[in-house]
Amino acid sequence: MTRFPLLSRIRFRDAGTLLGLILISGVFAAQSDVFLTQPNLINILQQSSINACIALGMTLVIISGGIDLSVGPIAALSAVLGAAMLVAGVPIPLAIAGALATGVACGFVNGALIAWGGLQPFIVTLGGLSLYRALALIYTGGQPIFGLPDGFRALTNGSLAGIPNPVIIVACLAIAAWIILNKTPLGEYFMAIGGNPEAARIAGVPVTLTKFAAYMISGLMAAVAALVLIGRLGAAEPTMGILWELDAIAAAAIGGASLMGGRGSIIGTLIGCIILGTLRNGLTLLNVQAFYQLLATGIIIIVAMLIDKATSGKQGG
Amino acid sequence: MNQRLNLSGVSKSFGPVQVLDSVSLTLLPGEVHGLLGENGAGKSTLLNILCGVISKDSGTIAIDGKPIQIGSPRDAAAAGIAMIHQELQQVPELTVAQNIYLGAALRHAGGLLVDRRAQETEARRLLAPLDPSIDVTAKVHDLRVAQRQIVEIAKALRAQARIIAMDEPTSSLTPKEFERLVSVIQTLTAQGVSIIYVSHKMDEVFRLCSQATILRDGRLVAQVPIPQTPVGQVIETMVGRELAHASHRSFATDRVVLRVANLTRGTAVQDASFALHAGEVLGIAGLVGSGRTELMRLLAGVDRASGGTISVNGRTPGTGPRARIRAGLGLVPEERKRDGIIRHRPVASNVCLPAMRGFSRWGFIRKGYLNERSQSLMAEVRLRPLDVTRAIGSFSGGNQQKAIIGRWLATDTQVFLFDEPTRGIDVGAKAEIYDLIEKLASQGRAIIVVSSEMPEVIRVSDRVLVIREGRISATLSRHEITEANIARNAIPA
Repeated sequence: MTRFPLLSRIRFRDAGTLLGLILISGVFAAQSDVFLTQPNLINILQQSSINACIALGMTLVIISGGIDLSVGPIAALSAVLGAAMLVAGVPIPLAIAGALATGVACGFVNGALIAWGGLQPFIVTLGGLSLYRALALIYTGGQPIFGLPDGFRALTNGSLAGIPNPVIIVACLAIAAWIILNKTPLGEYFMAIGGNPEAARIAGVPVTLTKFAAYMISGLMAAVAALVLIGRLGAAEPTMGILWELDAIAAAAIGGASLMGGRGSIIGTLIGCIILGTLRNGLTLLNVQAFYQLLATGIIIIVAMLIDKATSGKQGG
Repeated sequence: MNQRLNLSGVSKSFGPVQVLDSVSLTLLPGEVHGLLGENGAGKSTLLNILCGVISKDSGTIAIDGKPIQIGSPRDAAAAGIAMIHQELQQVPELTVAQNIYLGAALRHAGGLLVDRRAQETEARRLLAPLDPSIDVTAKVHDLRVAQRQIVEIAKALRAQARIIAMDEPTSSLTPKEFERLVSVIQTLTAQGVSIIYVSHKMDEVFRLCSQATILRDGRLVAQVPIPQTPVGQVIETMVGRELAHASHRSFATDRVVLRVANLTRGTAVQDASFALHAGEVLGIAGLVGSGRTELMRLLAGVDRASGGTISVNGRTPGTGPRARIRAGLGLVPEERKRDGIIRHRPVASNVCLPAMRGFSRWGFIRKGYLNERSQSLMAEVRLRPLDVTRAIGSFSGGNQQKAIIGRWLATDTQVFLFDEPTRGIDVGAKAEIYDLIEKLASQGRAIIVVSSEMPEVIRVSDRVLVIREGRISATLSRHEITEANIARNAIPA
């Protein structure tokens, strides 16, 4: 369509999400002198990074026609198991691998119930939401795990060229997710089974494997988010990650993912996360009460969906 | 005697297609009137107009001599017209009594509460002459289809219907259940209720009906008194048209590509055995619901067979669509929107799904190669507009179909399974699809075409299998392929 190779890659819908972000930022920039400063912008990215991490996995799941409500508890379980290993003196790379494996294993359980058991994703992951949380609470007796080694904490508290490591980690994951979605057969399969599962099956798409992949990636992303957060806090709480799933779904939806499956965008989801982060940051700068921040978040989500509805069908795909 | 119903000059077109052309029908009180015709002759359209589901373009409808307007299903119900659909329209989780009073609940306590007890008493009274063994408090999903049908009839009686249209009521009934239905119909007609009876089964029509109206291509071709007219004459009138054997070219060879032996799935497909040769176009004819689509789905691995074997080039493929695709089978499904296309995705994405191995390297899709190759495949099937980056859902039905056919050219597909390849496709695109089928055959590919349209079967097939009630009832070689031969073997005796 257009002759600008970079511009043509940014799709119509993503441009809309970006416009939303610019509008919101403009409002805050006009109201607050601090908003547009470099430390504050980096702060927004850092604050958005946990949600972005979860939302990347969520986007792939939603595109494949599913939903993952169990990401928060998966993060909590990965966090407490990883932290326990770190505190027990397990080498840092091994402990990290253990935490990530926990997330993937939870995703495998979700995937098995959905792909092999034929159960509905909403219900399965709703069950997982309680199940994984319970495991985290039982394992820790409800107590936080303190005393994570400094070597581990340095990984998440450091920065590179002024950019905090969590932001860099999420940027790398986003690039990986974008490549998976747009450049690999798996991404094509996600879109296909989300868009029309029966047609995809008849066309020879390995539907079972694809569903497993979606939930295992989502579990992995939840574990990464858990590691980033416990590194920053220096402790792992079994109650962490409450309502993470809703923020992630909101970010994906603002970014153009259809909860009916088959459509969504990694770039859109990232911008969606930044919109949510910006909103919280800006309203805090303006000393708006937390209750009103919640109100604003709700309104933004609904307005985004209304605009989506009004413009759908007019876009070029 | 007065006429219960008089349809006169009813016409209807969908876009440029005239589906009913000035059809008339009269129905006497207490009469069972057969409505006959091939698939697509216009029977369903006529019933839908009568029941207010769709509106007619012109013509008049009169009941008991009084002209009426039917603009909605509600109008039809008020006029005393009820329809027993082939797919019963009930709420399975509700009880028999609740279904009978659906939308017209009996109330008490000043209209606030549903009077369940009164509903159950009344439902029992309605069912008594039909089938007293049906428990009015049972949930409908626990009933057999035959019983559910009778509940539907009871509901029609509750609404004081005087005209009941039955669309293929016996398609899933056993002979014993049919006998029960016969006595129910006799009870109804004794009360003066008139029945319009749609069926493909000649024995039923001859048992029940006193008159039959025969439609063909949306036109009324005859109204005949039933017991007096010979069965053969009725079938010939239904099928009728003479067909020029338009330019059929055969590329069939002796080399067997696909061999099917005793393939079975429940009662839908029973003991199907046949061989398909390279370059051959094998037509599969039969009534809707006779097991043709089910056979295609078994071959493509979409459904699992309960018995029998298939082999492709002497090898037995695994189960499931992926194994069958690898073996060289490709299905172009009947329900394109539901089973064929991924609507929002570009044509190229729809093309690459079965052939991902060929389009990827080191775990990445070769987008450039994919687009190039799709473009040339789509040029081969004459996709218009020729743009593989456009969402497939934005193309016309005919072009979507071409894209799905083109998909199978990207893999090493040796057996093409076409299920109703031209359904919902305009005339121009139809001819292109016939050309494509011929071209595939000329390249030595083996082809199966399932079709409800007789002219289509006759035009494309080298050989025709006729399926009746899940079994292959006849194999017709090229010179035996006529509408009469197909119809004789397709319609249950």
